[in-house]
Amino acid sequence: MRTLELSWRLLRGGGRRELLGAGLTLVAVAVCTALLLFAAGINLAFDARSDREAWRNPVRASDAVAVQAVRHGFVADRSITVVELAALKQGLAPPPGLSRFPAPGEVWTSPALAALIERLPADRLGRRFPVLAGLVIGDEGLIHPGELVAVVGRAPGDPAMTWLQSAESLLSTGPTRIAGFGGEPSDMAVGYSILALIATVLMIVPLLVFGGASARLTVARRDRRLAALRLVGATPGQVVGMTAAEAMFVAVLGALLGTVVYGVAVPLLAGIPIAGGTWFAWDLLPGPQYVIGVLLAVPLLVGLSAVVGLRRVVVSPLGVAKRETPPGMRFVRVVVTVALVAAAPAVASGTASVAALVLAVALPFLSIAVLGPWVVGVIGRITARSARGPARLLAGRRLMDDPRSAWRTVSGVVLTGFVAGFIGLLTPASGLLGDESAGRLQIEVPAARVAETADKAGERLRSAGLAGRVETSGKGDHRLVTVVLATEETATVDRARTALAGLAPGHSATSPADDQHQGEVMLADVRTGTIVVLTVSFLVAIASAGITAASSILDRRQTYALLRLAGTPLSVLDRARRAETLVPLAVLGGGAILIGMSSGAALAPGALNGSGMTTLLVCVVLGFCGVIGAGALSRPLLRSVTDNPAPRPD
Amino acid sequence: MSEGMVLHGRGLVKRFGPAVALAGVELAVRQGETIAIMGPSGSGKSTLLHCLAGITKPDEGEVTLLGRRVDTMRERERSALRRTRFGFVFQFGQLLPELAAEENVALPLMLGGVPRAKAVTQAREWFGPLGLGGMEHRRPGELSGGQAQRVAIARALVTGPAVVFADEPTGALDQSTGHDTMRILVEATRRNGASLVVVTHDPQVARWCDSTVEVRDGRILPAAAVAR
Ligand SMILES: Nc1ncnc2c1ncn2[C@@H]1O[C@H](COP(=O)(O)OP(=O)(O)O)[C@@H](O)[C@H]1O
Ligand SMILES: [Mg+2]
Repeated sequence: MRTLELSWRLLRGGGRRELLGAGLTLVAVAVCTALLLFAAGINLAFDARSDREAWRNPVRASDAVAVQAVRHGFVADRSITVVELAALKQGLAPPPGLSRFPAPGEVWTSPALAALIERLPADRLGRRFPVLAGLVIGDEGLIHPGELVAVVGRAPGDPAMTWLQSAESLLSTGPTRIAGFGGEPSDMAVGYSILALIATVLMIVPLLVFGGASARLTVARRDRRLAALRLVGATPGQVVGMTAAEAMFVAVLGALLGTVVYGVAVPLLAGIPIAGGTWFAWDLLPGPQYVIGVLLAVPLLVGLSAVVGLRRVVVSPLGVAKRETPPGMRFVRVVVTVALVAAAPAVASGTASVAALVLAVALPFLSIAVLGPWVVGVIGRITARSARGPARLLAGRRLMDDPRSAWRTVSGVVLTGFVAGFIGLLTPASGLLGDESAGRLQIEVPAARVAETADKAGERLRSAGLAGRVETSGKGDHRLVTVVLATEETATVDRARTALAGLAPGHSATSPADDQHQGEVMLADVRTGTIVVLTVSFLVAIASAGITAASSILDRRQTYALLRLAGTPLSVLDRARRAETLVPLAVLGGGAILIGMSSGAALAPGALNGSGMTTLLVCVVLGFCGVIGAGALSRPLLRSVTDNPAPRPD
Repeated sequence: MSEGMVLHGRGLVKRFGPAVALAGVELAVRQGETIAIMGPSGSGKSTLLHCLAGITKPDEGEVTLLGRRVDTMRERERSALRRTRFGFVFQFGQLLPELAAEENVALPLMLGGVPRAKAVTQAREWFGPLGLGGMEHRRPGELSGGQAQRVAIARALVTGPAVVFADEPTGALDQSTGHDTMRILVEATRRNGASLVVVTHDPQVARWCDSTVEVRDGRILPAAAVAR
């Protein structure tokens, strides 16, 4: 308790600049917390979506109680999921979202589908579902709030429930005898979950770097005073306790603020469409156990980081007051890194589990973090040796003297360079899937009914007033009747779909373009996700560069002030500071991009494409500008610190 | 302007809010002269030094270096002046911890545009005479307090300044080391033909100087201005 009180005094008595430091830390911790909650929220949200969708992927069972068929139709370029159900027994439990098992002839619709039927002309959509009695599917049965779903009740003998699927189809699952609505996650849902997990890993490391940097900011300026406390006899335990208590006090406030910020942001985030629709806000709210976990973990990590920052003071009272030649970085770091980078592809290709995949991303990432400080030291030695002018010499010696601190400034951006390299390689090229026709509507029919169906299709087209011709193709059991429309215009295609509805029981008329619909959506989502991950990591990285730049000025304020008193131009100090960041950034950032590309290549062998290249270039430019900007922002701080005409030991 | 006058402060007034740090001070520094400034803590010694050295602008009065007004110069010019015409020794902390001793001494030369190799060679020449032989490659953290101050003295003198300012340069040292350091400072400054303005609490140190001024509440005590 005494410790806590003492640190509170220290914080309050520290003056404006200390409070500014604490304020920055608070904001940084809040941002970290909000992003961590976002990371947790997005992963949980994909899982929740996957769970709610599972019942629509019927699993064949021998002790069947019902028959279920699922197909996708389309309207206005959106997918409609039509689930057809027939009970084999009385009193069955309904599927999720329905209040009872649908009776034969009943049509249940999702709220979004009901609204769309209201809005669009009947010949585009409404006539596909003739009997509507206001039966609404609840949220528990929907992937997202805007999803278009219809559940149609059938008798077990209905032709829609008895046809045999002759070929694998992306858009339909033929009648399947099921024992319940447990279902299984769809391939798409699993894919999205994995992507979300990778994105999380990519985001979380810069985030932790950021948290660490901000924790150190509370320690900046304080280390000297704590060293003085140590000199007058405070025990190491007291010093550690004070530092940790102070940093954690700020961190708890920051974490609470971050939680509130995330809560406020959820409605906005929920409006971002992914995988075909926006989100139920509660999907993005992680459960209390996650929130409590984050609220405990963040302050603990911040406290730990602050304590590590003060280790030198604790180890020796003179550690800060008296600088010595630091011990060299060990070559071991290089060995560890090479091992990590080499191990990653082996791990990735060895097994196909999600854990292995995450490891394959995380290992090279980790290796960069291990190697970073060592490389900074080497860069420093080269810079110092080759320096002609004072700025380069100062920068080089500084890098040699404290490579970890220089590394902290650039680490976030460097690690984001890895993300950019990784993603740049994995970014799908636009037009990857080719451009399939939307004006060729196909229906699968049994061989015996090809001619009859083709005739009827022609008739229906004519009576709907649509221009087009009818073709037949295929052999054996797998026959297709194709309606070739004169146009690919969406409203006309919708009308044709509606005209052809129910022509073959249990089948929707779909085009080759429809087959690619899900794939297109996923590729678009990968691009969106890429941009989100890169934006978040870059913002976080640049913010940590700024914060670290500020705390490094505070750490060295006395030296800077005395140099300036003795007539050193501010511009020389500034150039030295710039070189201190930009040289390591160029070398390490470049290296990280290459390692990122090699990790990406290990997961998905392929060449870098145009849009990936663009993403990468934008990242490189943004990263550099951002770090330069962050450094420039701390210039007024440098000026104010060195303007004090009478620098005191503290 | 009297014979050999290098630096002249007249009617210097400096206020910090309501507090008056300097209340009208006149001080003339002749070429090669060493002046000790004494006085209790908070009496305005550092402020006087800062005004003379172009670190702070006085609120009133003027400062001239060889006939040129210093107090009206812009910060950039004053900064250049401090780098080329003045040398500074502070209590501690003016050496860059990450630079070797010789690089710390060479730094002012490099700032003035001297190529690095030449600057370091020139810097090394100071080590022997100041009793620092063999310390060239040490870091400030690996030097004793007295050694570090001697490196700082070399750094202050390496550019051949007109005036060296020292603000309690031995305040952090024990008495005997302090005396040694102070003697080296005074002698080295004299050898180089530079003037010295040194703030000190030690009457013994003041005795080695050509003159002593006593500052009290922002004024110079006339009675204490003893010429030797
Ligand atoms: N930067 C400053 N801001 C406010 N007051 C100051 C500042 N510098 C000095 N003072 C005040 O001016 C007076 C003289 O200070 P100083 O010249 O440092 O005294 P000395 O060096 O003789 O101990 C003191 O009362 C001090 O509090
Ligand atoms: Mg003073």
